[in-house]
Amino acid sequence: MKTIEELKAYYETDLLPILRVLDRDRKKILYRLFLGILLSAVAPIISLYFFFGPVSLMVICFPVWIGVIIYLAISIGSYKKSFKVGIIEQIVRAIDPNLSYNASKAVDKAHFKHSELFKNSWNEYKGDDYVQGMVGKTSLEFSELHVQHVSTDSEGRRRASTVFRGLYLVADFNKSFKGKTVILPDTAEKLLGSIGSMLQSWNVTRGELIKMEDVAFEKEFVVYGDDQIEARYILSTSLMERIVAYKKKSNRPVRLSFIGNNVHVAISYKKSLFEPRIFRSLLSFKPIQEYFEDLSLAIDLVEDLNLNTRIWTKD
Amino acid sequence: MVVGIVVGVVLLSFALMYNGLVRKKNQVENVFASMDAMLKKRTDLIPNLVSTVQQYMQHERETLNELTEMRAKAVSGQLSADEKIALQNQFSKALGGIMVAVENYPDLKADQNFIHLQSSLNEVEEQISAARRAYNAAVTSYNNAIEMLPTNILASMMNYQRKNVFEISEAERQNVDVKGLFNQ
Repeated sequence: MKTIEELKAYYETDLLPILRVLDRDRKKILYRLFLGILLSAVAPIISLYFFFGPVSLMVICFPVWIGVIIYLAISIGSYKKSFKVGIIEQIVRAIDPNLSYNASKAVDKAHFKHSELFKNSWNEYKGDDYVQGMVGKTSLEFSELHVQHVSTDSEGRRRASTVFRGLYLVADFNKSFKGKTVILPDTAEKLLGSIGSMLQSWNVTRGELIKMEDVAFEKEFVVYGDDQIEARYILSTSLMERIVAYKKKSNRPVRLSFIGNNVHVAISYKKSLFEPRIFRSLLSFKPIQEYFEDLSLAIDLVEDLNLNTRIWTKD
Repeated sequence: MVVGIVVGVVLLSFALMYNGLVRKKNQVENVFASMDAMLKKRTDLIPNLVSTVQQYMQHERETLNELTEMRAKAVSGQLSADEKIALQNQFSKALGGIMVAVENYPDLKADQNFIHLQSSLNEVEEQISAARRAYNAAVTSYNNAIEMLPTNILASMMNYQRKNVFEISEAERQNVDVKGLFNQ
């Protein structure tokens, strides 16, 4: 399945019956939510009527509130799970039957750490919607990730700053190499021109600045690496064009790194991905199209970067 | 006091410019050496290629002999940088010709040894092209430094000359083998 038209047909025939069942579950959850809120609001009134003072709150209200929260969390959790198995997994398989899907797993922490894409320190690593398999001759895995730095301030409040949120992909690269090459969005040069470029060359934490000859590529990205020749061996003129086109297609900040014979790609999103609606009906094509487009963006990486062309010594 | 500071700043900036120029010149030499190593790698593949290919190819004997002769010249080690480049351009042309001719020999195309050689050649060609681009980037940065203010004054005192970037020879430009690309 490649096109929106094919998806539309698939939606009508295969997804709609599942969505109808899921939408009934969704309505049940809304009903429970309403009941839960009502019960939570009524609990203090009842407890104050029968008992007096703070003891009544302890004995009746707290258990009721906690019970409501746990009950709602469990039912929303199981709704999400059946949505992911029923819908997201089906879409993944329809795009490419060779891929497998796991709703709760994520790309391994070691990959993220190893990629050197993000230099900010982080201590909370969460992710879900893990897809893995072979696309042609190339192995590919990706998942949604949310990586944060969590700290507590002087008053004991929890502060979280996001290091990365979005899709994280790891694919086997079609050429072998030893060093590392990291490609980041070029913000300094865009804002400051040649002064920005000079500042970039002083960025000691990143390694050597590598100036590419492709103007469109240089405008979007800045390249750091430990070997001028190897970076150009990886970034052939055609691959640079492909990366620019991929960035344009995704219309989001894209970072790439070439390390350990793999290519790592981080595509930033501001929202949570592949989650079901709760307050609006599921029986709509638009969200399905969004899931499909985000999944396709990831799965098409192999084709878009031409990773199945294996004419070099690496098989 | 003020004079001392001014002299200090002037001396320091001179030292920084001087070091920058030397670094750029060394970068050019360093990348040229890597490129030379890649070109040598390609030269080393020639005997293997010739011995594999000649069992099949009947009409390209001349080109194969030419290749062997060129290789002998390349490994003799008595060539200047310019001669080396010229010879390597001839290599590219001859190899391109062989790869086009391969299309006429289905048995050869299926030969395991040849398939392996072909991917090694692709690999080394890709590395040569990368090294060439790195060389041009290094030369451009060097040329900019010796022609732009203020480093050009120092460069002329050090007698640094402009270097030429690597240009793809006319022969190679014509030899872009579209058919071969589609068959890869």
